Amino acid sequence: MAMAMLAAASAAHAHHSFAMFDNEHQIKLKGTVKDFQWQNPHVYIEVDASDVYAKDKTTKSWTIECANPGILNRIGWKFNMVKAGDEVTLIVAPLRSGEPAALLKQITLPDGKVFTNGGPAGPANIQ
Amino acid sequence: MHMQATSFVCARVFAIVLLMFGAIPSAYAQAPDRSRSNESAAGHPDFGGTWERYAPPRDPNAPPPRGDAGIGLGPIFGAPPPPLKPQFVAAYEAEVKRIAEATQRGEPIANANAQCIPDGMPSMMLAIFPMEVLQTRGQLTIIQEAFNQVRRIYIGEDPPAIEDAEPSFYGHSGAKWDGDTLVVDTVGIKETVRYRNAPHSNQMRIHERIRMLDANRFEDQITVTDPVYFSGPWSWTWTYQRKPGYKMYEYVCEDNREFVDPDTGSQRMRFKSKAE
Repeated sequence: MAMAMLAAASAAHAHHSFAMFDNEHQIKLKGTVKDFQWQNPHVYIEVDASDVYAKDKTTKSWTIECANPGILNRIGWKFNMVKAGDEVTLIVAPLRSGEPAALLKQITLPDGKVFTNGGPAGPANIQ
Repeated sequence: MHMQATSFVCARVFAIVLLMFGAIPSAYAQAPDRSRSNESAAGHPDFGGTWERYAPPRDPNAPPPRGDAGIGLGPIFGAPPPPLKPQFVAAYEAEVKRIAEATQRGEPIANANAQCIPDGMPSMMLAIFPMEVLQTRGQLTIIQEAFNQVRRIYIGEDPPAIEDAEPSFYGHSGAKWDGDTLVVDTVGIKETVRYRNAPHSNQMRIHERIRMLDANRFEDQITVTDPVYFSGPWSWTWTYQRKPGYKMYEYVCEDNREFVDPDTGSQRMRFKSKAE
């Protein structure tokens, strides 16, 4: 309930509603970046990853939606901060449809640096 | 208990939104503000500069202001509900309910922004991202970072007659000075360009009174009238604070992966980039 409200409230200040993502059941993915698309209206990370906490450790191709370059720049991201081949850990809210796409909450880069996805996307609620 | 939890969440939302709009330390903080244009103000207030919307500090323990959807956005971030004539209220409320229920189901209705269609007036003055104001002789130009929206206000001119105003996103704005207040009148907003889902006709006029509050803040008092749909004026005020030295980001909708489900009108997501 709380996270649904958060998502609804945040939607008013984002490019679009994030209600299609399940904020209440966030997951942690670990894998290798295939592509980093720095552009509007959203930045995307394509990553081959598996679910850290799931029994099934099958690697799948995930599309991770981030905020936009303006928001991310203002919280410290850089256009070249993520590269193909990087090993990253992601906390994400997956699509409610079950398809392998998700909204980013937090990314840990190969050097250990952690970045959020800005205010509108909301915070991670798992470790 | 429920109220406390709600207040907590709303306070948290507010804090997050504040963070989003808050001053971010910038390497350019000491740089000159290139969009300031003192010479062009010609004895009038100078609105030139880079700005972000300003929300006054609130007591985090106070009940949050509430919007139509019962979420803590309320009058700080938006207008009150539109003063629709009675015959239009039922359809409006049904649409607001339909949108809220779709969001609750996790199948949000695709709005204009989700399709990379810019806000237009008056929504663009909400300034979801930073904005830049250029004040030159006879013109105030407002550039919103979101969707690269540009609005031109011609000072010393009247807006065109409604029958001559070509429908557009930002409309046609004429302005004059009333002391230190710039009084702006805008007509010619496309009927598909909506704020808070309020219907409007080609008779809609947007009246603004823009004035500096102090050296680093200005306000825009907005009043919308529409003799076809509204029973009275629809008014609210947005306030902005300087974002010194900020350099505006470009915003080109290069690869929008959100699309409208043709069956439900809901927003869906395409996984592959255009290049694939």
